Amino acid sequence: MSKTNQANAVMLTASLGFLSTILYLLLFLFKEPILQLIAQGGWYFLIPITIAFILSYVHGAFVNHFWDVLDVKPNPMGE
Amino acid sequence: MELFFDFQLTSILFLLFVGFVGGLVSGFIGAGGAFIFTPAMMSLGIPAIVAVASNLCYMFPKALQGGLKRIKYGQVDVKLGTIMGLSALIGVACGSLLQIEIKNIFGEVSSNIYVSSVFVVILAILGAYALKSAWYIYKYPGRREKKITNTIAMWVQSIHIPGTMMYFRSIETKVSLLFVFPLGFAVGLLAGTIAVSGFVGVTVTMYILGVPGLIASATELMIAFAMGIGGTIIYGLYGFVDIYLAMIILAGSLFGVQLGGVSATYAKDYTIKIVMGSVMILIMISLLLKLPIYLIESLHNNIVISLNYSSFGILVLALVVGASIILYTLIQGKRQSAKARAVARDAQAIAPRYESEYFPTSAKQLSPTGRFEKIMLVTDSSAFSAAATREGIRLAQRTEGELSLMSVVVTNSEHESLAKELIEKENADAIRRLETVKHTANNAGVDCKVYLRRGIEIYQEIVDEAEERRVDLIVMGRRDYTGIMRVLMRSSTAKVIGYAHCSVLVVPRTAKIEGKKILLAVDGSRYSDTAASTVMSLAKHIHAEVLIVSITSTVHKEQRRQDSLDEVTRVGSFLTQEGIQVEEKVLSGNPADTILEIAKAKGVDLIVMGSHGHTGLNKILLGSVSDKVIASAECAILVVKAA
Repeated sequence: MSKTNQANAVMLTASLGFLSTILYLLLFLFKEPILQLIAQGGWYFLIPITIAFILSYVHGAFVNHFWDVLDVKPNPMGE
Repeated sequence: MELFFDFQLTSILFLLFVGFVGGLVSGFIGAGGAFIFTPAMMSLGIPAIVAVASNLCYMFPKALQGGLKRIKYGQVDVKLGTIMGLSALIGVACGSLLQIEIKNIFGEVSSNIYVSSVFVVILAILGAYALKSAWYIYKYPGRREKKITNTIAMWVQSIHIPGTMMYFRSIETKVSLLFVFPLGFAVGLLAGTIAVSGFVGVTVTMYILGVPGLIASATELMIAFAMGIGGTIIYGLYGFVDIYLAMIILAGSLFGVQLGGVSATYAKDYTIKIVMGSVMILIMISLLLKLPIYLIESLHNNIVISLNYSSFGILVLALVVGASIILYTLIQGKRQSAKARAVARDAQAIAPRYESEYFPTSAKQLSPTGRFEKIMLVTDSSAFSAAATREGIRLAQRTEGELSLMSVVVTNSEHESLAKELIEKENADAIRRLETVKHTANNAGVDCKVYLRRGIEIYQEIVDEAEERRVDLIVMGRRDYTGIMRVLMRSSTAKVIGYAHCSVLVVPRTAKIEGKKILLAVDGSRYSDTAASTVMSLAKHIHAEVLIVSITSTVHKEQRRQDSLDEVTRVGSFLTQEGIQVEEKVLSGNPADTILEIAKAKGVDLIVMGSHGHTGLNKILLGSVSDKVIASAECAILVVKAA
């Protein structure tokens, strides 16, 4: 990977890591209202599903890039 | 909603650790992770039903992401995934409701006994099989295990029940839905009961239906998504999903899963199976030790404490043993791989000293004459790369460039180690397909070498290979998506163009470069000039006319239009001096749409565009006209990169 790509990859990883941390912080900061909403039942079951989607997407993207930046990649096959 | 876990900092940190180690082991042995997380949560005192529900909640978004990626690579049998997904959805609904009924009627202890018992049976069978298999591979290296699995799949495929038969592309034959539905249902039922899905789903589709390993693991993600979301909704409606528990496990496990998956690619077959077998058996023992606590109410307190500690200790031992082997394998593998690369680099460094003058570095890969000295053709022998293969060979033939053929085998951090021998078969098949293309190239008088890489992201492997080999041009096909799929599936082709430093020739499946007309899109930048010099060289080689086009927007002022006209005239004069027949046009409208329209109207067979060199994040943020042209053009597109 070239230096420019490497710098971009680090920046993207850092941004996603920051976003992931913020989302987790929000999840715990607003624990009470979130739990109250979910407890109302009915369509509120969509709340945990939405949370799972968003966090899984953001955190998953962060982790993907994180290992990539650290050059933890599958064993490449040679010629 | 109730929280079933004590959310103190130490508890959270411990759960993160369990998530990481559990993810590590599950990524390494190729399972979804629930067979570790559910017992681990139960060990922490979380009711079995909550552990199962939270695991299903953790499962579905991961399966969706993985599934979309694998659909992009064309590895998912969507028809099979839909049918099995629907039947699994019914299964998971039955499993979840049964679980809830047991909890409501017989109480939490009965629910724990139910889940633990099913786990003990499943883990005992799978663990013993894995250890037996590891012993066989270790004792008889190179010899294939005697398999009854092919026999089962062949028998299933041979049964013809009129009115129930359906063709599946992954199996390349018809199979009765009377097999597919019950299998999907059974997988769903088990997922609703103990949240284990991938492990069983992949095994069933591979060994009973005869689906190839890679497609089985990819299609299973569709099934896992259906089961995960179905189970989460049902358990969620009854208040058994602890979203906080699920998200903490997610935070740790995603790190572990990927690391474990990478480590598996360095591991020997029997190492994976030893880890799989020993972890499963240890977890089984851990669960077994807790059963007396659930079953006998009058058990002495000291015995309860001893059993609890022993159970927890064995669980931790299982995780630590598994994690140690995995990390050791990864570190050793990386070291050996780095040594091998260093040796290869040294060998390369001796040969090309003389050639370095003729082969510029990656920063200036386009040779000064605009010729392509080193061409890398990316092919997977699919219909999408057929035209690219043909044109890549023809281009190398015309320009007398050095041709290399490469293909990427996509690895998956989960599931693939379940069937390592099948993955090896995928590699062998890929090599065989590359050799077939090589044979075609040789017949056309073009000598070439073949290269195969394995990786998670196709585009990254292509870009890395291009940089390592210092190629001037990548030739590749394009998968066609429309509508929302185009937004979701930013293609590997677009990403290669975004990240590669060399030029990229994209050949859609129906395109053919006959040398009729080349469209050169110019905008007055130095990138256009580089593109123009390439077009000059190409037009001479393939004896084509050149249509020079500059697009202005309707909102642009008159001065801008005059500039465009001057630019077109300047480039036109340059090409005319070289004896090339030129037509010049300055058009107004949306740049991408206008280029596509004029290319179609004029019967252009190659569009050439300079790249502004936006890569990585810039590319994602800024987008480009070339993206749209590349995604929609019916003819071939050459994106010329400038340093």
